[in-house]
Amino acid sequence: MNPMPSSARSGPPRRRGIARDLLWHGLNLGLPLLFVVLPILSFVLVSFWTLKDGQIVHVLTLANYRAFFTEGSYLQVYLSTLALSAQVTLINVVLATAIAVFIFRRTPRTRFLILMSFMLPLFMSYIIKIYSIRSILGQRGLLNEGLLALGLIDQPIEALLFSRTAIFIALAVLYLPYAILPIYLALDRIPANYLAASADLGATPLQALRDIVLPLGRPGIAAGAVFTFILTFGDFVTPQMVGGTQGFTFGRIVFSQFGLALNWPLGSALAVILLATTLLAVALAGLTLRREHVR
Amino acid sequence: MKQKAPLIDALLGLIAMAGLIALYAPLVAVAALSFFQILRVRGVMGFAPFSLEPYVALIANGEILAALATSLIVAVVASLASLVLALMFAFYFVSARRGFGLMMQVMVFLPFLLPPIITGLSLLIAFREIEFSRGLATIIVGHIVFIVPVVYRTVLVRLQLLGGSLTEASLDLGASQAQTLIHVILPQMRPALISGVLLAFAISFDETLITLFVAGSETTLPIRLWAMMRVGFVPEINALATLILVFTAVITVAIGLLQRSPAGHAS
Repeated sequence: MNPMPSSARSGPPRRRGIARDLLWHGLNLGLPLLFVVLPILSFVLVSFWTLKDGQIVHVLTLANYRAFFTEGSYLQVYLSTLALSAQVTLINVVLATAIAVFIFRRTPRTRFLILMSFMLPLFMSYIIKIYSIRSILGQRGLLNEGLLALGLIDQPIEALLFSRTAIFIALAVLYLPYAILPIYLALDRIPANYLAASADLGATPLQALRDIVLPLGRPGIAAGAVFTFILTFGDFVTPQMVGGTQGFTFGRIVFSQFGLALNWPLGSALAVILLATTLLAVALAGLTLRREHVR
Repeated sequence: MKQKAPLIDALLGLIAMAGLIALYAPLVAVAALSFFQILRVRGVMGFAPFSLEPYVALIANGEILAALATSLIVAVVASLASLVLALMFAFYFVSARRGFGLMMQVMVFLPFLLPPIITGLSLLIAFREIEFSRGLATIIVGHIVFIVPVVYRTVLVRLQLLGGSLTEASLDLGASQAQTLIHVILPQMRPALISGVLLAFAISFDETLITLFVAGSETTLPIRLWAMMRVGFVPEINALATLILVFTAVITVAIGLLQRSPAGHAS
């Protein structure tokens, strides 16, 4: 199968063929190398430099990494962000699995429609979704105003916005569709006759769910968990928008090093740690799946 | 057919309903607030009568319109460039040796798999190292890097389903490679190309996290909105948010229908 035969096959003069081949490989491997791989390598390199008196010192050192463990509250914020992302991942995977199973149990005709309505918000403006969540949770938000109007409270609940809970809710709402899609796609691959067979053999729907649907949906559940974790752990705008000063997450610390704090080497080192953490999460998910497979 | 299990279905349905409400209630609220502003009479909340005032104010807001123009330029250029690049990469993947193809593919997918904050700051640092100042061009590059994997995936799936027979027939009948590409291969891929470009446009138009790193003084709409929301509340935001929500919903539904239509079924 080869829709575009290589130039060698259609037979242009040999020399031109080599030049063209080189250009072809150069473009296809060179562009990603230049715009993806080199930038990543350069930021990893910068993480080993240091900042002294506003000037970058081009000497390789582990000082920035040492600072992460010893100075300020970097480690503490890292751990609390880790916990926050883990909590969002857990609740979202549980909800997304329930929703995916619900969609899976519909007739093929309605499945697409329901799936589509869960996926639609995925394509809607990220910043506007945060804004709209804020307009509900805010001190002058609809929830507070509604509760006030109903006389259930007589002071606006400030903790609704600018709190850890607000970040938790906002992240969960924002990233729910990212977890539903992979889980549903995994369920969608389960052959219909597996379920028919299990029913014929007398399994109750609950047993079928526990012993067939969920085990076979595992790869999707793992993928959904990884997506949610990576996206929530790296998000630095949501915590800032709904968390205020309370929402100082690890991603925000990284971002601030490139803005106000302006310490690129330190920011790069913290970003390397962020990257390593997400890669670890991917590896962990892969490992769990493999162990299941062997067993 | 699946067994009936009313209790399980009711429970799952309840969760699904709650999920939909959580996803849509904020959006509906913003749209409603753009037409009916909140009023406060002696500390009691009420709604102002229907008004298009925020929309009128929006049209007069030069800052927002400038950002919108930037966003449109970036999205058009980035999505068209991504389409060309994605096509090239897809052809490369099916024609080059497997090892080379996989190498290219891993590199192309990276920015989509990594957290956006990593892609953003690595581009920022790379631009700085080569002393390329931030502006429209860096935003566009940032968007292309992020979008290409999505378009590439859409295009590749379709290309792999084409099979080589029509292409071979065209080449055997004396058409050049370029003619074959334009008259035989691309027309067969039209649905994938259109949905790829729409998807790219939608993602670029909305991209925030990478743009925050690579944008200079010229900002896109999401960044402008982000800056405005930090300062305080402006009624125009509700109007603009509503328009954008409607706009993206239309694009998304169009993509969904394209992917589902018989011709585009492959993707």
